[in-house]
Amino acid sequence: MSEEKKTKKSESSEIERILESSRREFLKKAGLSGAAIITGAAAIYAGFRHEKGKRPENVIKVLTPDNRLVEIPADQVKDYKPGLKVFQTRGRAGLKGKKWVMLIDLSKCRNARKCVTACQAAHHLRPYEYHMNTLIMQESVNMPAYYMPKPCHHCDNPPCVSVCPVDATFKRQDGIVLIDNERCIGCRFCMAACPYSARIFHWQDPQNTEEDKGEIYNIELNVPQKRGTISKCLFSADRLRDGMLPYCVSACPNGVYYFGDENEDAVTNGTTKETVSLKELLKKNGGYQLLTELGTKPRVYYLPPKNRLFEFEEPDSGTQGEKS
Amino acid sequence: MTDHDNQQYKDRLEKVASVVLRPVRINNKGFILWMGFLIVAFAACLFAYSIQLRKGLIVTGLRDYTSWGMYIANFVFFVATSLVGMLISCVLGLIGFKWVKPVARIAEIIAIAFAAVAGLVIISDMGRPDRLPYVFMFGRVQSPILWDVTVVTTYFALSLLLWFFPLIPDLAVAKNKLSGRPAFLAKAYEILSFKWVHHEEQYRILHIAVRILLILVVPTAFAIHTVTSWLFAFTPRAGWDSSIFGPYFISGAFVSGTSALLIAMYFFRKNYKFQDYLTDFHFEKLGRVLFLVSIVYLYFNLNEFLVPAYKMKKLDAIHLHELFMGKYALLFWSVQLGGLVIPIIILLIRKMRKPLPLFIISMFVFAASWLKRFIIVVPPQAHPFLPVQNVPAEWHIYSPTLIETAITMASLLLALIIITVLSKLFPVLPVCELAEDEAIADNELLSGIENNSK
Amino acid sequence: MNRLLIILLLQLFPVILMSQGWDTPADKKGKLSPFKFTDETRIVGEKLYLLNCKSCHGNPGKANFINLVPSPGDPATDKIQHNSDGEIFYKVTTGRGPMPSFKNALSSNDIWNIISFLRSFNPKYIQAFQPEIKSAAYPGATINISLLLNKKKDSVIVKLTAISPKIIVPVINAGIKLLAKRTFGMMPVDEDKTSDMKGFAAFKIPKGFRGDTAGNVYFSLRFTDEDKFGAFSKDTVIKAGEITIPQSLVKDRAMWNNVRKAPIWILLTFSLGVMSVWGFIFLVLFKLRDIYIVGEYLDKNPGKEESELK
Repeated sequence: MSEEKKTKKSESSEIERILESSRREFLKKAGLSGAAIITGAAAIYAGFRHEKGKRPENVIKVLTPDNRLVEIPADQVKDYKPGLKVFQTRGRAGLKGKKWVMLIDLSKCRNARKCVTACQAAHHLRPYEYHMNTLIMQESVNMPAYYMPKPCHHCDNPPCVSVCPVDATFKRQDGIVLIDNERCIGCRFCMAACPYSARIFHWQDPQNTEEDKGEIYNIELNVPQKRGTISKCLFSADRLRDGMLPYCVSACPNGVYYFGDENEDAVTNGTTKETVSLKELLKKNGGYQLLTELGTKPRVYYLPPKNRLFEFEEPDSGTQGEKS
Repeated sequence: MTDHDNQQYKDRLEKVASVVLRPVRINNKGFILWMGFLIVAFAACLFAYSIQLRKGLIVTGLRDYTSWGMYIANFVFFVATSLVGMLISCVLGLIGFKWVKPVARIAEIIAIAFAAVAGLVIISDMGRPDRLPYVFMFGRVQSPILWDVTVVTTYFALSLLLWFFPLIPDLAVAKNKLSGRPAFLAKAYEILSFKWVHHEEQYRILHIAVRILLILVVPTAFAIHTVTSWLFAFTPRAGWDSSIFGPYFISGAFVSGTSALLIAMYFFRKNYKFQDYLTDFHFEKLGRVLFLVSIVYLYFNLNEFLVPAYKMKKLDAIHLHELFMGKYALLFWSVQLGGLVIPIIILLIRKMRKPLPLFIISMFVFAASWLKRFIIVVPPQAHPFLPVQNVPAEWHIYSPTLIETAITMASLLLALIIITVLSKLFPVLPVCELAEDEAIADNELLSGIENNSK
Repeated sequence: MNRLLIILLLQLFPVILMSQGWDTPADKKGKLSPFKFTDETRIVGEKLYLLNCKSCHGNPGKANFINLVPSPGDPATDKIQHNSDGEIFYKVTTGRGPMPSFKNALSSNDIWNIISFLRSFNPKYIQAFQPEIKSAAYPGATINISLLLNKKKDSVIVKLTAISPKIIVPVINAGIKLLAKRTFGMMPVDEDKTSDMKGFAAFKIPKGFRGDTAGNVYFSLRFTDEDKFGAFSKDTVIKAGEITIPQSLVKDRAMWNNVRKAPIWILLTFSLGVMSVWGFIFLVLFKLRDIYIVGEYLDKNPGKEESELK
């Protein structure tokens, strides 16, 4: 028992380590492109200042925002870190030309909950605070029970966004519904309005309050989390900006998740990295969506728990709540 | 308009003023003790709020699934009760029932106090009260919360004006009759009476102003409580997803408002010795009003519960089962029977429409009205569309904490403080109007009694 | 009785199939790593193992694999170690049942690194390796690939030729696949094909196949048999897709959009309602001023006639 705990612990620290390295990589990338933007402008100015023919010894090539390759002295390069304003502006706009969709194949889920832990580690949540939760579903007595991972459905007609009084939660052009915890007043109307129970509220100081102090708020990661505000699944908007699959999607060991762009009609499996046609996948497997009768137009699709890879097992702790 | 220089009128005015102005004093023992109690208790409750500010809403019983609880129920209750101002002064006043005059100001005082506190209690429910200005800075017109903030503010302003305008002539009369009261009061009366000299022209202007206000307050009052009901009805949840929530809430508001008015009337009659002006006749009439609004509310209750109960849609069935036979059964049935059905039956009896029985009935109805809001707000959240799983066991059932209760108590105390201050500093009954109408009222009273005895 | 036996057999069938008979094709069994296993490859392999395999197989040697049918097994035990390098490589690549295929998730080098890690638990293991052979089928020749859209615009025609200084010949019987670039990976178009006797193959473009704003699709042609032809690919952009103009999801006025995109009727109703009610409230407040003016006038001029007031 204690051994199992230990491995669990080392496992979660492992995930954190991997996340940390990916985050560092992201910062590096962001830093580089940012440096390019700033130094690009500086380059033109520097070009005038330096006398012709007198080339400094240390020059590097950078790409300006208008796609010109220019050389600038290495000692003039400054590290660039996006500030709150950059995070907010680009976070609220979203990624142009994208329409994100998630597809969850219930026939492959064995309730490993790697998606849940990866998500919680990335967003600094406590073990019982969920952006992504795996539920045990059973529609009626004779119906089989099955596991159902449940993220935010990022509806195209989001009832939660309609009721927000201050534009704290909003929909972006790429379909993601985000929450700005710099704006949220904590009225919790959105929680009342959401039929998927996708939203959580920070009733107390969030888990990493001390550690996250002073960190710039990234609206696409919703970190640092804040007391008295809402938090929710973000489709890992920070990872998507970086061209990577969401945390939950990549963490799944069983190939449950597919994620992609509806405009391309393609979704990629987070485990096997197979890329397939969204429509084809839905057609062949009888895909469906949750609570469409409410008119929410969700962006999350499900494949039914048919021909399951794993037998349903009641979790050790018994039913941790009511069945549907 | 009667001739205001008439000696007979002046005598009547003198008589009414002496009765009405007698309680306008703040240096008597009873008042100091009562205010002292209110303020100490209020301060204690404010301390509870300071704990909530320091630690966050974790100190309440609210959690992710039941995320609206006592505070919101209390908010709905306050908005509801404040509607009595509109009911009395407009629905009855506009139609032209003269008997309503002596109670109209009491109704407005209740409206002011409850509307003002409603605006404040909502802040106690906010996770980030420091961001309240954001509602005005970044408001989205699509959000019912913005509508609610707008109409509650408007209704408060209208109620304040509806209380103040008819008060101007009284202040002018009273400003010279304040011997033995603190000097600031006379000064305040002087300023607030706006050079009122009982001239025809001033009466004309005043009547126009009051007329405008009376017309404005009807749609605003309907809006304030309809919008409050929409906070719930705009969500898809079973138990809230109802198209009759607007009228259901408004009829319920009239019930709780009328009961609040009856309680206040009884209190003023007893403690301010207003037996001559808040007569058995007024209680009898308002007893009938309470009966009428309760019947209407019962009708909406029937619709609200029987319609889904007949169909038993999946989530409605769970919700109704909890109410009728489950966790909330005791609360539900005591509220529905003790606060609605039984009072209706009792109110049918003529003897029960006397001041004391009405006071007791109203206490029950008033308490039940608060609990009813709790039943409307809390149970539908426990059973969302998707199952509640993998969360701590205590998240499944909402039970309010002591701190939460204390903060809720603070709102009631604050309302009482406002009512006390308004009714101690200013005349509670309309002096001039009563003087004008005393003869007419006497006649009406007589004819009323004759009619009833037939 | 017979029926019972059949049922029993059927019940056992998956277990038998899965625990016993996961056969590797003969030509894959002997596949060897192109590089020597070292401490570095082991460390890289360990990282990959923890990320991709541990959640089912557990830590090697700890027997903490999860309980599934068929059992994933502990990679340190004989159950897995008795496989040849080629067999492990094949099984990781293709997957079966609950075991996902890693052919898109991991490169062949990744898989060899993982095998390097797994073999470190086997003291008896002695590695044989074989540096990669390039284009074994047409030694000395460069393979030229050309992709074209057919006239009906529903297929991509592929032509393979091997060019050496001496001759030009069509590449025949070569397994090839066509991939289209998508945001998170390469999506196969049509089935895998084999080039015909003239070196041709045709990939059908599905109806409604999405291209960019101009209908362009970024294609990549690869050999399915990389041992034979090398890890070679031909990348090109062809106007083979449906023109897709991405629409912003927030362009329309809606209840859920921001204030600037609110429905007109609600903007009008709200602002007109608030303005008119508060307009009247201010009008009423001005009446206070009127009352004051009248009173002041009468104060200064006592006994004036009413008519003078107006």
